[in-house]
Amino acid sequence: MSKLKHLFSSFTLKDLLHGLRVTGKHLWRRKVTIQFPEEQTPQSPRFRGLHALRRYPNGEERCIGCKLCEAVCPAAAITIDAGPRQSDGTRRTTRYEIDMFKCIYCGFCEESCPVDSIVETRVMDYHFEKRGDNILTKAQLLAIGDKYEEQIAEDRKQDAKYR
Amino acid sequence: MLDILIDFFIIGAKTGLILGPLILAVAYTTYAERKIIGYMQMRLGPNRVGPKGWLQPIADVIKLLMKEVVVPSGANKGLFLLAPVLFIAPSFAAWAVIPFDVEMVLADTDVGLLYILAMTSIAVYGVIIAGWASNSKYALIGSLRSASQIISYEIAMGFALVGVLMASGTMNLGQIVMGQEGGFWHWYWIPLLPLLVIYWISGVAETNRAPFDLPEGESEIVAGFHVEYAGISFALFFLAEYANMILISVLTALFFFGGWLNPFQGIPFMEGITEWVPGIAWLLLKAGFFLFLMIWLRATFPRYRYDQIMRLGWKVFIPVTVVWLMVLAFMIKAGVGPWFAGRGVF
Amino acid sequence: MTVESIVFYVFATLTVVGALGVISMKNAVQAVLCLVLTFFSAAALWMLLEAEFLAVTLVLVYVGAVMVLFLFVVMMLDVDYASLRAGFSKYLPLGVITALALFGAIYWVIRSQVLGEIPEPAKNSADYSNVTVLGRLLYTDYFYAFEIAGVILLVAIIAAISLTFRGRRERRGQSVPLQHQTMREERLKIVSMESGRRQDAHLKPKKTSSKKEAPKDGVAKKSSSKKEPSKNKQDEAEKSEGKGS
Repeated sequence: MSKLKHLFSSFTLKDLLHGLRVTGKHLWRRKVTIQFPEEQTPQSPRFRGLHALRRYPNGEERCIGCKLCEAVCPAAAITIDAGPRQSDGTRRTTRYEIDMFKCIYCGFCEESCPVDSIVETRVMDYHFEKRGDNILTKAQLLAIGDKYEEQIAEDRKQDAKYR
Repeated sequence: MLDILIDFFIIGAKTGLILGPLILAVAYTTYAERKIIGYMQMRLGPNRVGPKGWLQPIADVIKLLMKEVVVPSGANKGLFLLAPVLFIAPSFAAWAVIPFDVEMVLADTDVGLLYILAMTSIAVYGVIIAGWASNSKYALIGSLRSASQIISYEIAMGFALVGVLMASGTMNLGQIVMGQEGGFWHWYWIPLLPLLVIYWISGVAETNRAPFDLPEGESEIVAGFHVEYAGISFALFFLAEYANMILISVLTALFFFGGWLNPFQGIPFMEGITEWVPGIAWLLLKAGFFLFLMIWLRATFPRYRYDQIMRLGWKVFIPVTVVWLMVLAFMIKAGVGPWFAGRGVF
Repeated sequence: MTVESIVFYVFATLTVVGALGVISMKNAVQAVLCLVLTFFSAAALWMLLEAEFLAVTLVLVYVGAVMVLFLFVVMMLDVDYASLRAGFSKYLPLGVITALALFGAIYWVIRSQVLGEIPEPAKNSADYSNVTVLGRLLYTDYFYAFEIAGVILLVAIIAAISLTFRGRRERRGQSVPLQHQTMREERLKIVSMESGRRQDAHLKPKKTSSKKEAPKDGVAKKSSSKKEPSKNKQDEAEKSEGKGS
């Protein structure tokens, strides 16, 4: 008897119609698409995007060339050369480069930094137009830091109590 | 000599009048498909190019035309380039016998139905040759799947059309429609309901559409028989697939839903107020519904497995059609309903 | 020269070229395609004779079905074409003689008094339907011949099936009807599980972590009474899952 019932229901295409009903209903549902450049999803203050090197309020760069970030980087994306600066003899980096193709945005560099110098900003929609542009130099990183300093400082402040 | 040229010109103009809107319809069917499937998945679909994305298909066409046609090494170049043409030619040629309204048909032939069957069956050459000439494993597997699928479902489709033939007593598409005159309860979808369902599903299978799209099966054989095609040669395959979709939808409307006939015919009040609507509008409306159904199916069902498709075609559809043809024969001889009145012998 | 004769000569040439291609193509697949071309242009020639039913049927049956299967087989075959052409020059004279003899025979029949002069096919009136005429003839004058042909074809189908059928084989394939008939109840068992302690329970304020997420020492006491049945249920669920897969 159940077999007969089954035969009947399969010949009336009951299951298929049921499936069609589900998709048919969804046709009228509210759409959840976010129109990216105009609309954006909320971001966490801990968002890990494009890297930046920060400065102290007096304009002195924070980085002291300890190479902790270079050591901790799991993708070996960071390359640092360090030495005493000629003007005052303090230890500074002569080269600080991040290969953005290698970077996996884990945030270890930021966590390892003793002076909060290398940070990850909220910027995530950037692109490169030439081969080699993917390697961010020290000057570029500092410029990014200068540009977004306000946001960076605000985010660090919000996150400070959990550190 | 001059009147011969004029004749050719008139035929050419008529052909252009059918194919031009058809190609435009194909372009906007792709847009409709992306939009509807998007909506069914709670997305918006294309909405960037032009207002609400209305220019998206144009952009796609331009992109495809600008791309390079790559002939794979080891491919049989002549056949490789011939295959898309062989695929698209029958799907365009089939439109020659489609009546859009009373007397609005390019070739009013008495073998219209057979001609349609013949055209849909020779489209398989494009697929087979594309797969073979590409010199690629995936393409060959895809083309074999496609060919066996088209051949299998053609039988069920042919049997379903035999039902239409029996009911109308003619193979002229215009006369098939005229046989259904007199309101929507006179249409053949009621006495031929099982055949309608089978014709429709076989049609979906013939056009290699989801859920029968395993010749393309992107999860296992990348894109099936047209993996190696790019640019305009791929565009031809694409065009033919969608032209076939529209063809199947129009044919379903013609065979089972009274073609260009007004659905309110014979209903006292409604017939009066819908009299001004031209027949072609009804036909396009009915075909549009089936086109929508095809897209709806694609948004809903997962792909069939190869053995399931073969089982469905050979073990379910063909027996069901044969049984229903017998039932139909009895119905005709008994003069059942408004459809076969006057043809009974009992 | 009328349009008809232009069309005739175009398709007649195509037929001959296609036929020549069938026997001269190096590649078997291309040869089959040439055969398709031959059939197709022959159908066009029939169309010129107003035999549209026969023409379309030729396309439908030969081009659409038979040749596709041919193409299938030829594509799957791995033929060494060089070895096939080995004895070409040796058999050439014999082949030429046979071809000439055949051509002569056909020419003799066509030009002889048996057929007489072949008149140009008569034009039919506008409402002439090839389909109707053919159908009427088949089901009246040639009814028995037609039915016998049908029976012979049926016998051929049965013979082909019985020749290839080698008894039931044990296969490990799935039975789709059986799969279809299974009910959800046979395969699936829904078990209500006791939910475990939340990982982040210690982070939650006390109000939300009520009776469900008891503090640590409470778990030990309750587990003796509650955990055991739930564990059994879990085992059962796993078992039934195993059956299903």
